Amino acid sequence: MSSSVATRPRLAAAASWVSTAARLILGGVFVAAGWLKVVDPQSSVAAVRAYRLLPDSIATIVGWGLPFAEIALGALLLAGIATRVVAAVSAALIAVFIAAVASAAVRGLSIDCGCFGGGGEVPPGQTAYGIEIVRDVGLLLLAFWLLWHPASRLALDRFVTGGQRTK
Amino acid sequence: MSTPRNARERARLAAEQAAARKRDRRILIMMIAIFLVVVVAGGIAFQAWRTSRAPSATPSAAASASPVTIANGRPIVLGSAEAPATITLYEDFHCPHCADFEEQFGPIISHAQEAGTARVELYPMAFIDQGSVTAANAMACAAEAGFGQAYYRGLFANHTLKWSDPQLIDLAEEVGGSLSETFRTCVTRRAHADWVTSINAAADTNGVAQTPTMLISGKEVDIAALTPESLQALISDASQK
Repeated sequence: MSSSVATRPRLAAAASWVSTAARLILGGVFVAAGWLKVVDPQSSVAAVRAYRLLPDSIATIVGWGLPFAEIALGALLLAGIATRVVAAVSAALIAVFIAAVASAAVRGLSIDCGCFGGGGEVPPGQTAYGIEIVRDVGLLLLAFWLLWHPASRLALDRFVTGGQRTK
Repeated sequence: MSTPRNARERARLAAEQAAARKRDRRILIMMIAIFLVVVVAGGIAFQAWRTSRAPSATPSAAASASPVTIANGRPIVLGSAEAPATITLYEDFHCPHCADFEEQFGPIISHAQEAGTARVELYPMAFIDQGSVTAANAMACAAEAGFGQAYYRGLFANHTLKWSDPQLIDLAEEVGGSLSETFRTCVTRRAHADWVTSINAAADTNGVAQTPTMLISGKEVDIAALTPESLQALISDASQK
């Protein structure tokens, strides 16, 4: 997996710091996005409902639960615990977000993605699907980087698993 | 160099280590899964409690208004009939942007209503969820009973609630409305359900497609560009005409 990097110690060290940055950015974004939704459960449910993908009862559960999942994943990333596993779950979640936003765009809905709180209907022509998807793709790339190179500096992983196997 | 025996020994050790690592990884994945499930389930339970508890946020006291007549397709009028400016509001009590709007601009509008410079024509649309409908119905009940203004502010101050009947009745107590049996049955029997439907239809007829929508003396205001200062200026302009 990372043997090509490990053969060059300097590169390996740099890659570990890149992973640290990826963890902190992705984790920070998740915690912020989750928190902004947790404070307003009604909005969060309305934002999910606006996608018109789920029946009302399930939309309620998702609207309430998803922000907590984001905070939990974000906290694990910030702490650097089980980075590869968490990165895999994060990547799957972000892929679902991208699919949901893309489907809203394709179906001609005019909604805000509700990614950072708010959400729901917006006036036609005020949608920002392009930017929302580009941002999510950026986050997805960070998650992919962590899948490929989970070992990072300033991470609790080294205490939990006795160090990631970088060699 | 290694003897065949040593090589076998080493292979066995490596296999053992690999198995141990595999087991560790499985335990780690399980722990993460349990952690996520616990956090999410706890979160769902927390939000369920939060949206179904009794209303607690009380807006500052609002002037009591005279009872309002509810007529199909017609908005609830809050404020003096002689007020020179008319502020028309299309809002859903569960629309997130309406709650933001109310938080930012509500005090200015309330002030104008109490000062007698403006009256509000309220179209409580109901399209987000069941709570939108029950809240709009209860809003009509409260206006009819004469405490519409305080109730309106209470609905937005507690907008995270799902608006079950007990919550809507509690809110009336909270904002100091006289809790008559008429109000109770008005809420529980959805006495103004037809009116709520007629308001949605009226909004449609008036070309209103989103909430919040605000018109000041008949002219639509761009809420995205609105500031407290510009709203203040628009209201004084309209009240001087």
